[in-house]
Amino acid sequence: MTGEYRLDTLAVPETLSLLHDLLDRVRAEHPDLEHTDLALFETAVIEIANNVVEHGRPPGTIRYSFTLDVSADELLGHLRDGGPPLADSEQQMPDTDSETGRGLALARVALDDLEYERVDDHNEWTMLRRLR
Amino acid sequence: MAMQVHTSTIGDATVLRCEGRLTMGTAPTLRSAIDSAVTSGRARLVIDLAGTAFVDSSGLGALVSGLKRTRQVGGDLRIASPQEQVRMVLDLTNLDRILQPFDTVEDAVHDW
Repeated sequence: MTGEYRLDTLAVPETLSLLHDLLDRVRAEHPDLEHTDLALFETAVIEIANNVVEHGRPPGTIRYSFTLDVSADELLGHLRDGGPPLADSEQQMPDTDSETGRGLALARVALDDLEYERVDDHNEWTMLRRLR
Repeated sequence: MAMQVHTSTIGDATVLRCEGRLTMGTAPTLRSAIDSAVTSGRARLVIDLAGTAFVDSSGLGALVSGLKRTRQVGGDLRIASPQEQVRMVLDLTNLDRILQPFDTVEDAVHDW
């Protein structure tokens, strides 16, 4: 049970469905994966990509690449984007009455590990979910 | 995937059925539907999530916004029939404390 998936696209709202499509393909090609693991991994990936779309400047000009390795014991994703440095990668889950600010906190709790690094003029995100 | 919001009524309640993914791109559609209902004096809302395969933090924001909006005018917002991903995300964000899911739309409106 292994596989590698890749997407390279412009960080605009219209391309977020390509990430969902990619995860749907993983789901179809790995029917043995637990729905929970894939659903939470998808949740995290979308939140990271949302962040890139939201903060990319000038809007609509930033690209990102995403790769996902599926192995017997983990889902490992890498997302690399050309957006500005992240101001706060340790975002806490806001109070329940907040309407914004949950994205990165949600990504973090949906994964076993989320790492962020600024490398030269790129952001690099590593997302790990261990398979139960 | 676009999301569609279908509006119907059950007595005093307005049911907004969201079909598709409730995300950054589609959350404004739900916000707008909630706004239209409240503006027209209908503040008891049920968001039917049976057809909502995925929600992100923007979608959650729209639900929280709707909850506050309806309560400000003496109404309420309840969610019904969430699928597994939606239930997990509500749990992880602690939003299930203020948006307790009802199993069905009928359960959600039972005391209205």
